[in-house]
Amino acid sequence: MGAKPTPGWMERYRERVNADPEMRVIGDWFSLDFKLAFEGDAWLLSVREGRIADIVHNPRFDRPARFTISAPMRVWERFIRPDPEPLYHDFFAMLMRVPEFEIDGDSLAAMQNARALHRMMNILKTMEPPDGRS
Amino acid sequence: MADLEPVVGRYLNLESGGRPYRIFYEEAGQGRPLICLHTAGADSRQFRHVLNDTDITARFRVLAFDLPLHGRSNPPDGWWLEKYRLTTEVYLGLIRDFWRALGLERPVVMGCSMGGAIVLKVASDHQDEIAGIVGLESTAFAEGRDNDFLHHPAIHGGELAACYTYGLNGPDSPEEGCRENWWYYSQSGPGVYKGDVWYYCEDWDAREDIKRIDTNRCKVSLLTGEYDYSATPEMTRQAADSIPGCRFTVMKGIGHFPMVENYALFRGYLLEELALMA
Repeated sequence: MGAKPTPGWMERYRERVNADPEMRVIGDWFSLDFKLAFEGDAWLLSVREGRIADIVHNPRFDRPARFTISAPMRVWERFIRPDPEPLYHDFFAMLMRVPEFEIDGDSLAAMQNARALHRMMNILKTMEPPDGRS
Repeated sequence: MADLEPVVGRYLNLESGGRPYRIFYEEAGQGRPLICLHTAGADSRQFRHVLNDTDITARFRVLAFDLPLHGRSNPPDGWWLEKYRLTTEVYLGLIRDFWRALGLERPVVMGCSMGGAIVLKVASDHQDEIAGIVGLESTAFAEGRDNDFLHHPAIHGGELAACYTYGLNGPDSPEEGCRENWWYYSQSGPGVYKGDVWYYCEDWDAREDIKRIDTNRCKVSLLTGEYDYSATPEMTRQAADSIPGCRFTVMKGIGHFPMVENYALFRGYLLEELALMA
């Protein structure tokens, strides 16, 4: 099984999101906190106007998230790679066809921000696979 | 000199199921009619590359029409008192009445997604009137795409439908083709995509009908993209297995919208099938 994201890996993700020219176009109204959970290892992303303002690893109960996107590492590994196989090649593909890929919480808020959220997931897909070291 | 495309748009007034409709269609070319059916929540612009492909228009009169409520085809009178739900019966009737109103003889009918589904019914019910069908992303039975967020007052339906379908493109398809389809999807009227999906996921079941298709009378070609997770290659294969003599090809690297997401790759697959139907 592959390694989970490290603080350095998540920081590079933040830089990539915040430097993305499309997020600057579409992100004005995307301001909320949500979590990405890699087999129980959760990262709270505080998004403000389409930019990741803050990241908290395994937040305590006093940091509520509107929704959480979670999956086992064996699912994330098939998504975060240069040549994803069919059904693992897109956020919405996995929501429809991969039962272990889940979105919990306020899914209405997620879909209200579908364009920016989808873009963030597509940026996540372009990250190098986590190696646990950097 | 103006850089004009050979594609011409027309309006056709026809009656179908006892209701009058004003239907917009585009056409180009000469030869055997090739009717093109767009996907759910979209319109005939998806076929602009087919309409501009001289290797096709030299042998086919290509016609792509917008379903009522889509593109430039108006909703029928009284639409504001109806919750839009496309049905197999209405859809099939509109396609049949389109070719009859224009006097098209022995057309080939090609459709994608929900259009790729209904062409199976066109073949089962009208196989003596048509030359064949080309089903793109076809299934005889489909579930799982409907959800209440597709028409919700707190969600921009156009943006959600466009994003919801964007992943259906193959990951290596040119971005400009995928984004073009995103744009088309962002423009459907409130609830139209959901009403189409209702047909596709709730009303549509042709698993018994397709057993009646005689490919000696009506040729059947089914092409499905490798990355299609709505109508997966396996779902099309199940339909193909019920149609003796049917041709079935999985298109490598392509998703759910071959004619718009990656026409350069798709046209090779398409030309091979059309050569059998000209």
